[in-house]
Amino acid sequence: MDAIAYGPSSTPLVADELSVAYGERRAVDRLSFTVGPGEIYGLLGSNGAGKSSTIKAIVGLVRPSHGRVRVFGHDAVAEGLATKERLGYVPETSLLYEALTPREFLEFVASVRRLDPVASSARAKSYATAFRLESEFEEPIASLSNGTRQKVLIVAALLHQPPLLVLDEPLNSLDPRSVRIMKDLLARYVAGTGRGILFSTHTMEVAQQLCHRVGILDRGVLRAEGTLAVLRERAESGDATLEDVFLRLTREGEGLDIAVRALEGP
Amino acid sequence: MGWREAWRISSVAFVELSLQAIYAFRQGNLPSADSPRLLAARARRRVVQSKMIVAAVLGLLAAGACLLLEVSARIVATPFFGVVVTTAVFQMGVLTGLLAIEVAFLWWTGLQVIPTFLGSGVLPVLEPLPIDDRTLGRVAGLLYLRLFDLPALMVLVTTPLFVAWTLGAEAGLAIVPGVVAAVGFALALALWTGRFFVRRVQGSRGGGGRTLVRWAYLVLWVLPAFAMFGLVVAAPGFLAFIGRIVGGGPSLAGDLLLSAFPITFAALPAVAVHGAGAFALDATGQVVLATAAGVYLLVAGWAVVWLMASVRRMGVAPALLPAEAPPARFRLRPERPARAVLTKDLRIASRMPGYAFLVIFPILEAVAIGLFTFITGPGSSAALGLALAAVSTAALLATFFGPAFFAIEVIAYSYGRTLPLSDRSILTGKVALVAIIYLIAGGVVLGLTLLRVFQPVLFLAFVLAEFPAVLAASFLELGILFRRARAKGLPIVNLYSGGWYAVIVAVPGLLVAGLPLVTFRILDSSDPSFALAAMGLFAVAELAVCAPFALGLRGGRNE
Repeated sequence: MDAIAYGPSSTPLVADELSVAYGERRAVDRLSFTVGPGEIYGLLGSNGAGKSSTIKAIVGLVRPSHGRVRVFGHDAVAEGLATKERLGYVPETSLLYEALTPREFLEFVASVRRLDPVASSARAKSYATAFRLESEFEEPIASLSNGTRQKVLIVAALLHQPPLLVLDEPLNSLDPRSVRIMKDLLARYVAGTGRGILFSTHTMEVAQQLCHRVGILDRGVLRAEGTLAVLRERAESGDATLEDVFLRLTREGEGLDIAVRALEGP
Repeated sequence: MGWREAWRISSVAFVELSLQAIYAFRQGNLPSADSPRLLAARARRRVVQSKMIVAAVLGLLAAGACLLLEVSARIVATPFFGVVVTTAVFQMGVLTGLLAIEVAFLWWTGLQVIPTFLGSGVLPVLEPLPIDDRTLGRVAGLLYLRLFDLPALMVLVTTPLFVAWTLGAEAGLAIVPGVVAAVGFALALALWTGRFFVRRVQGSRGGGGRTLVRWAYLVLWVLPAFAMFGLVVAAPGFLAFIGRIVGGGPSLAGDLLLSAFPITFAALPAVAVHGAGAFALDATGQVVLATAAGVYLLVAGWAVVWLMASVRRMGVAPALLPAEAPPARFRLRPERPARAVLTKDLRIASRMPGYAFLVIFPILEAVAIGLFTFITGPGSSAALGLALAAVSTAALLATFFGPAFFAIEVIAYSYGRTLPLSDRSILTGKVALVAIIYLIAGGVVLGLTLLRVFQPVLFLAFVLAEFPAVLAASFLELGILFRRARAKGLPIVNLYSGGWYAVIVAVPGLLVAGLPLVTFRILDSSDPSFALAAMGLFAVAELAVCAPFALGLRGGRNE
């Protein structure tokens, strides 16, 4: 573990009273959470809960309207470049340089991150082989399927072995084999290191399997946070699944039966 | 559902098409904080503005051509390359040029917008809806035609009006089939070649000699625009050529010439004014002319029918399909960030014709003017003047197009902004691109004119003296755009939809690039060495002012 090399603090990510607003609409409201060293933190929420807005503020895509984000002690707004050097990001939508091939794209990312040619080539090869990207490595990204683009983004995010990975719904378009690889890879990536992973999803099974702690976001507000055991206790729901706990804590489960019955028709 | 319903659906779909053309959300630009209604209204307004600019250029071209027709009597008194042409031949030559330029300009405009049209995803959204096949086909056709409505209307209306005003009502009527055919051909050509280039250029793999093949295709892509320029500069030679063939009386060569598009349609107004005797047409010639006109009209009609039937199929099918896999090369060669930006831009331009145009056109234009030195005598002052003019034009064009390179940053903007890439690196990479274009153009002109211009040192000194001004202009333009991007996001998407911003920002850049050239022009007559020194000093002073302005940007994109 080499915490000093990562920045002034050994904590991968601290969001402190973070708010994100789009015009009048506040997407994230005074959100505070921490991703600790060696931790996979799951950010859970329904559609529109504010997960992607939170992540966009962390990676520098939107400016917080209030609060701060620190990556290994570096302020994400005041020290944007230092923050970006320390994180790898997989966005929710696979919008890439469509006119480049995966190799050209990864070469660009490696250049911007000033990576060593030998090490970055070796990593590109091992990840591309694992995700079976070899046959698409020289194809323009525009011609690739969503799942393949997602794999390219994952390789790009891991190319510099960042101490903080920020993953916005990273498993969405992947095939079952790649999902399995990703789960194993992420668990090993942080184990016994000072690295951290922020993992946004609305798939509760994945979060339950992968995350050490989760934060439940609901309409921009953090409703609950902790390990599954803590959340079960908080929701007073014994050995319930994370999905049940989520529905209870967010009150999304209320009226669920009525809604399902209504779908059955008159 | 009939045409009315198709029009209504296409109106809704055109808003989405405008939105994608202006904001490129599907290419990875970030959604704005403004309300969707406001964005949609702004996108529609900007698309209309862009169409109006293109239409205005076409209108000006028609007006300019008719101004030439108005003074034709005075112009024909001068021999063209030793050949005296009749008024009728001159009029036919001017109208040939006008029709050719109209086809080329509409075609080129279409090529700029086709990738957006095919990639907007508007048509696939409509497919699953309960709309019958015929209406869907009509919607697709109407959507495509609406991209060209104002420019096409300008050609269809103003050209006959201007011709009628200068040559009379009969001539105005006689040119109508010509403009109809011109518009039909241009729109069909744009779709056909646009699709071809999307497949062959955008779909081309990386590595090996494929980059060279892509650039070769892209030179072809630029040719329609280049044809406009070529026609203007080659006009006297062309007039002499047709004057020589037609002036010799009825002949097979004359008949063949008159049966070539767009000469056929350009001849009709002259025949309407001067009668068949204008070109010494015998019965065979008259039959050839009438048949050719009829055939071209039929082909143009078929082209429009093909276009209407094909737009939907092309818009729905995936533009690019992965092909057979080559052996993968995993070797990455990281570069310095600024150089990586340059490499990335060149790679993107090699698969996006709109950007490739910006790279190729200044160089091709310099080549064209450089080639004209071969008309002048070797070692003459005119040859040197032309060589210097070629470099000056390349400098101004590279500077003029410079701001558009910034638009490449819109692509994958939401991803690119998360990389630790400083504004300074981006800016340096893009200024380097403009500089390379200028230096290649200068080098090519030097290579072309080495046998004709006997003062290579003077020529080189001129290229180098202007170089700091080209850098200064690029720094200034890109610096302005970066500051605007920080405040308002990235507005420029492609040359057709976002050209207005590029033009506004290019004005100060053109001034900066142009002032040293003016300095040289003023002082050249007294002492060329002094003029060069003054020009160089002026350019260096501009660079000293503009570079710090641009490079004074803070290091990080969101700092």
